[in-house]
Amino acid sequence: MDSSRPVLIPLHAVEARHEPIVGGKAAKLSQLARAGFTVPRGVCLTTWAYESFVDDADIVNTIRMELGRKSLDEMRWEEIWDAALRIRAAFMSQPLSDSLQSTIAEVLSAFDSSTPLAVRSSAIGEDSADRSFAGLHESIIGVRRTNAVRDAVRLVWASLWSDAALLYRKELGLDPARSRMAVLIQEMVDDDRSGVAFARDPREPRTEHAIIESVPGPCSLLVDGMVDPDRWEIHRKTRSVIAWRPGQREGSNDDGPLLEPRDLEKILETLLSVEQLFPWAPDIEWTGRSETLTVLQARPITTVAPEEDDKRSWYLSLRPSDLRLRDLRKRVSEQLIPELEALGQALAAEQLDPLDDEQLAQAIRARADSVAEWKMIYWDEFIPFAHGVRRLGTYYNDAVKPDDPYEFVGLLRDQPLLAAQRNRAIAVLAQQLGSHDSVRAAVERLLREHAGSMKWVDFRRELLQIEDVAAGFVEGFERLSERFLDVTYDDERLYDQPEPLLWNIVELSRLPDRRPQSSRASGESASVLQQRLLDAVGPERHEEAQHVLETGRVSWKLRDDDNLLVARLQSQLLRALSVAASRLRDRGQLGDEGKPNASHVEPLVQALRVPNAAPIVLAPHTAATKSNPLPTAQGESARQLIGQPASPGLATGTVRCIRGRDALSKFRRGEILVCDAIEPTMTHLVPLASAIVERRGGMLIHGSIIARELGIPCVNGVRNAADVLKDGDFVTVDGHLGIVTVGAAEFDLERDF
Amino acid sequence: MNPDEPILDADDAALLDDESPPAMRERVCRLLSQQPYGVLCVQGGGQPYGALVAYAFSEDLRHLVFTTPVTTRKYRLLSESAQVAFVVDSRSGETDDLMELEAVTATGRAHLINRGGEFEHWAELLVRRHTYLKSFVSAASCALFRIDVVRFLHVVRFQEVRQWIPADQS
Repeated sequence: MDSSRPVLIPLHAVEARHEPIVGGKAAKLSQLARAGFTVPRGVCLTTWAYESFVDDADIVNTIRMELGRKSLDEMRWEEIWDAALRIRAAFMSQPLSDSLQSTIAEVLSAFDSSTPLAVRSSAIGEDSADRSFAGLHESIIGVRRTNAVRDAVRLVWASLWSDAALLYRKELGLDPARSRMAVLIQEMVDDDRSGVAFARDPREPRTEHAIIESVPGPCSLLVDGMVDPDRWEIHRKTRSVIAWRPGQREGSNDDGPLLEPRDLEKILETLLSVEQLFPWAPDIEWTGRSETLTVLQARPITTVAPEEDDKRSWYLSLRPSDLRLRDLRKRVSEQLIPELEALGQALAAEQLDPLDDEQLAQAIRARADSVAEWKMIYWDEFIPFAHGVRRLGTYYNDAVKPDDPYEFVGLLRDQPLLAAQRNRAIAVLAQQLGSHDSVRAAVERLLREHAGSMKWVDFRRELLQIEDVAAGFVEGFERLSERFLDVTYDDERLYDQPEPLLWNIVELSRLPDRRPQSSRASGESASVLQQRLLDAVGPERHEEAQHVLETGRVSWKLRDDDNLLVARLQSQLLRALSVAASRLRDRGQLGDEGKPNASHVEPLVQALRVPNAAPIVLAPHTAATKSNPLPTAQGESARQLIGQPASPGLATGTVRCIRGRDALSKFRRGEILVCDAIEPTMTHLVPLASAIVERRGGMLIHGSIIARELGIPCVNGVRNAADVLKDGDFVTVDGHLGIVTVGAAEFDLERDF
Repeated sequence: MNPDEPILDADDAALLDDESPPAMRERVCRLLSQQPYGVLCVQGGGQPYGALVAYAFSEDLRHLVFTTPVTTRKYRLLSESAQVAFVVDSRSGETDDLMELEAVTATGRAHLINRGGEFEHWAELLVRRHTYLKSFVSAASCALFRIDVVRFLHVVRFQEVRQWIPADQS
């Protein structure tokens, strides 16, 4: 070993000068050990080991490519998660050099082979007094075998670039060329009591109150939020207990406090001694009782509250533990989704015309309240549960180590998503039109005649007059509308606007039969991937793998369905508002022809309740489409745009930008679908498209998954896609590489492929 | 010598005759080892075109390898004409002293390597040097090219040029 670049330093031999290569966590623990505190035995794998690995594996360029595709400030959280996943896969796919393997063997020789180990991150600069970034990096506990330690070390290294760390990249000063991660490998010490303790109350640091929290079992139960702790407030000087709050744990609340007074005394004494050692008030993680207290970690208390508009801490909370995900799965799938579905159906069945004004006002208010309530539930429970599919991704990748970090997406195939059911129903109608040219011709003619002002009842009547064989089509379309079009798009009810979908069905009916419907032929089936996962984890972890898999699948399905179900509530609110608007207009209380939207609840309710008030005017609807054109000089134009390769394939065609409902009608088969984001309510357009280009990025968003299912190239996360590209532009979309080339194709598609 | 290779115009630079192969070989090898990127020069319809690419080279220095998406201009031009030049220089190094800068221009022919056969060998050579290109090289819309080098021209001290033909080495 090069003595100027030590790769391994036993924890007890770490000195202050080593902090730049062992990280803050290891340096502090070593200082505690030297001062006589009991800390678990450990060995530091220094930043030189990290450097040796990333140099051998040329990972710096991989990180640069991931983080340099576009400014991180412009990346959505999903895109940051994707970048972190690919970086993680790069770390995991590179083998350790012989030299690093020997080093890890040397580490393991320091421990009894039966002792479970904790492999912990010890980032450089982490936990300094003015910055505390607990929880951004990985720590893996209960590691036993050599291979598991090797994997754990790489995971900890990769976590320097975790999605959470990337969110705080500026504060952390992350730089692919300079940032380093040290790893602390310790024997695990878990007593029957563990917890955290704060030398001062983080919420009120000026008081003389210390805080102690304890759970039965290992500290990870508390840190991961899996068990509610007992909590004490203790006066630092008098050492008296000011308050005790028992934890809410099943069947254990009658047992009295988890800790004895002498345990509390010992923990407080330890806290105050640690405080003497460092120039800051500490919080510590500990395990044991008065006689056996072991300090697992010490760091400065974080007292700085996040700024109000800083949503990053909320994002960090979206990484629920497996246990929490299991709870969420039960609650979301067994309670919330059925409730939401039933509510939507009940509202749709409600007759609004017979209601008097006050009853209608109440119905509107109740619907608006329901929408607000379910939006809260959406943020508080549906979005955290959506993490289940990400958890499945990392679980699969850690076990299988596939070349493609998105191989796990194949496990999500064939889920009975509402959008997929809707798209199948649309395909059946398209097939009907495709096999009846005369009906299709009549539908098309009527659509042209009624363009822009179509009412379904008139259309229906006229169609049946021309072609009585269209009855089956009419009936099918009405069933489709009832079941799937009771949703909002661009703040309007699709149910009231059948025109775009009818045009889409006409276009779909012209798709050649031989068009590839799915990429499944080339991809592996869900059952093959599932077996691969089970083989990789081994029989002892089959049950765990099944849980992660099932939770991931339910999470994915509901993540899609919940959007449509909440959109149904919004649609039902719009229905009630339309009834009110129509009634008020008839009475001269509404002074315009504007369509009501969700922002008109208050004026319409007021107008219903005060019949003699002056006529109101509805503020016009403004499209929510974001527009942020890039400044370009005269003569300058985009030639090649980059994004994420979200679905493989290569296609050329002309651009159709979808901005709002009207553009949906204009979409023609073979065009390149360019939009801000593919909403669940417009996924039926995807089979018509030659390729998809989206501003919104992510490998697990609707557009990506459906494009992959249908074998249609997709590039997303393209900066300002819908502003840079214009209707009629000729483009080439390379879904293998994530490139959109503007202008004539530089290759001969027929010759090369 | 490849009959398609143009004869060097002696007026272009001060051309010194062949140096002993090992010394020239070492210089070229050192510069190629130090510089992971080079400028690929292609032509089409009388129009030259250059593009910066990541590359690797074979141990005997007779071949360079690079990859490009098939949607690019350089791919189209390579399909039209295989005659290429490839320039590697030391500008990104420690010195900005004009007299210390080095450049190597390789001339030769570029061949598209079809998947199967020797594809794996050349892809691995490239990915070993540029790990981040792994998914790129395996993408169906990417093409892998091998340049069979006919001649290296090595420039140092502003205008001192030596040439070396790898095929001539015994």
